[in-house]
Amino acid sequence: MYLLEVLNPVARQRALESPFQPVARPESLDGKTVGLLWSGTHGGDVALKRAGEMLQGRFSGVTVNFYTGGNYPAPPHVVKQAAEECDVVIGATGD
Amino acid sequence: MIEVEKMGKPAAPIISGRFEGDAIASSRAFGMPELQFVVVPRIYRNITLEECVGQTEQAFDQIVATLTQNGAPTGRLGTADDGAPHNFEGDDRFDAVHRMNEEFIGRDWGDGFPLLPATREAVDELIAGTRLPADHVVCDVPPGFGVATVEKIAINAALAGARPEHMPVIIASVKALSEIGPHGGKSLLMSTSPNAPLLIVNGPIAKELGINARSALGPGRDNRINIVIGRAFSLCLRNIGYWYPNEMDMDTIGTTRKFVHCIAENEAASPWQPFHVDQGFGADENAVSLFITDGELDVQDQGNTTAEGLLKTLAYGATFGTMSLQSDDKAGGSERLILMPPDVARPVGNSGMSKQEAREFIHAHANGNLGKMIQYMPLEGEARVAENWKWLENLTEEQRLQITVSVMGSADNCYIVVVGADRAKTAVLPSGPSPATVGIDQYRPG
Repeated sequence: MYLLEVLNPVARQRALESPFQPVARPESLDGKTVGLLWSGTHGGDVALKRAGEMLQGRFSGVTVNFYTGGNYPAPPHVVKQAAEECDVVIGATGD
Repeated sequence: MIEVEKMGKPAAPIISGRFEGDAIASSRAFGMPELQFVVVPRIYRNITLEECVGQTEQAFDQIVATLTQNGAPTGRLGTADDGAPHNFEGDDRFDAVHRMNEEFIGRDWGDGFPLLPATREAVDELIAGTRLPADHVVCDVPPGFGVATVEKIAINAALAGARPEHMPVIIASVKALSEIGPHGGKSLLMSTSPNAPLLIVNGPIAKELGINARSALGPGRDNRINIVIGRAFSLCLRNIGYWYPNEMDMDTIGTTRKFVHCIAENEAASPWQPFHVDQGFGADENAVSLFITDGELDVQDQGNTTAEGLLKTLAYGATFGTMSLQSDDKAGGSERLILMPPDVARPVGNSGMSKQEAREFIHAHANGNLGKMIQYMPLEGEARVAENWKWLENLTEEQRLQITVSVMGSADNCYIVVVGADRAKTAVLPSGPSPATVGIDQYRPG
C-alpha cells in the first residue's frame, strides 16, 4: 500500500473573503420604476422591452426606463445611472 | 448586474442556458454568490427577434419572481474548495499517482494530460526557486480573481512538471496576466472567442533555461521547456484564476493555443533590439511578455528578398479577420502580433529599415475591405456602432464593399518579435489588448 498526499492547487477567491448579499425584494412592483439595462447584444433590447411591457400589464403604475451605452458590456456609468434612477433593474447578459 | 445589487437595487439578469454555469462562477468571482438570475434557453444574439420575444414571454414568471421574492440560500458559498490536501491510496506509487490523476482531472484541475504529484517535498523544492516566501501574494488572477500566493503557483507548477529554475518565469507570467488590460483581460478570457495567452521570454535567461526561439510553437524535445513553463502558467490560470471551460472560459469551439506556450525571442538572429527593450527593459535584463491572441495564420513568402516585397507579403497576409465598429477611436481596428522569422527580419533590417519603420510599413499596407470585415455584425437596428461609424448605416452593402480601411488602428498596434528557424514564413496572430511585460529577475533567488 502506498499513501500519496498531494497539495491542493485551487486558490481562494478574493471576492469571497467578504461576499455581498442580494438586497431585499419588494413584495410588489406596483408603482415602481423598472430599469431595462441593455448590454448592446443583438436581440437583448427586444427581449427587455417585451419584459417591460409585460410588467406594465401585470402591475399598476409601472414606469419603464431603457438604458444602453451602445457597447458591450454596458459601461459602468450607465449601470450606475440605471441603479440610481430605478427601483429594480432587468438586464440581458451572457454574451 | 452585481453592481446594481451592490448599489442597493434588486437586479434580474437574464442569461441563456449554456451560461448558467458561467453565471454561478461569475457570481462567486465578483462577490455575490447568492445572486439570483433568470434562465432562458438560447443566446439572444443568435436567434430571430420573434424567438427573442417568445423565450422572454416564457420566462416572465421567473423575471417577476426574481424581482419580488427573496431567493432561498443557494449554498454556492459552501461549495468553495477548502484548499486541503488530497490523499490517495494505491497498490504502489504508480497506482496512487494514477488515482490522483483520475480525481484531479475529473475535477477539471488539469489540462487533460497526466499530472505529476504536487507533494509537499516537490512544492518546497519549487518555492526555493524564488526569493519570495511561500505566503507572498503575487497578484489576484483573472477571470475568477483567485489569490496567487507563491505556494499556489508552485503547486500548479509541480503538477505541470516544472523545475525550480523555471519558477521566476512562471511567477512573472502570472503577474503579467494581472497587468493586461482592464482587470487582466477578464472579459476576453470569459469570451466565446478563442482568446488565449502567449508568453514570450527575452534576456539571457531564455538560453540558460533552454527556452526554444526557433521552431518554438510546436511539440517535442526541443520545446520541452517551452511546454513545461507554458503548462505551469496555464494550470495557474485554471486553478488560481478559475479559468475552467464552460464556467469562466466560455469559448465556442476552443483552441489549442489554450495549451499555453512559452517561447523566446530569437535575439541572436534579430537585426533589431529585443522586444523587452522596446518595452522599457535593459538588454541584459530578463522579462516575459504576455500577449492575448485570437488566432494564428502562416504567411508564406515564396521568393521575395527585398524588404518591400517581404513586408508587403506579410502585410497583405495580416488583413484577415473582422473589425469592430464599437470604438470611438477614429482608426478603430485591432492589434497584430507578428512572429517574424530571421529570413524576413534580416533582409528588412539589413536594408536599413528600423523596427519602427517596419511596423509603420506593415500598418500602411495592411488594409482590408471594410464591407467584408463588418459583415459578421448587421448594422440595421444595432446600437453597437460608435458615433464615428454611424454613417455606414446609410450605405448599401455594395457601397460598403468599396471602402478600404487599415486593419490596425496605428503602427503602435503592430508588434514584431523575431522567432523561428530558417525560412521566410511569418506567423501573424490577431491580438490585444496591449501586451504586458514583467521583469523576471525580481523573482530569482537572492
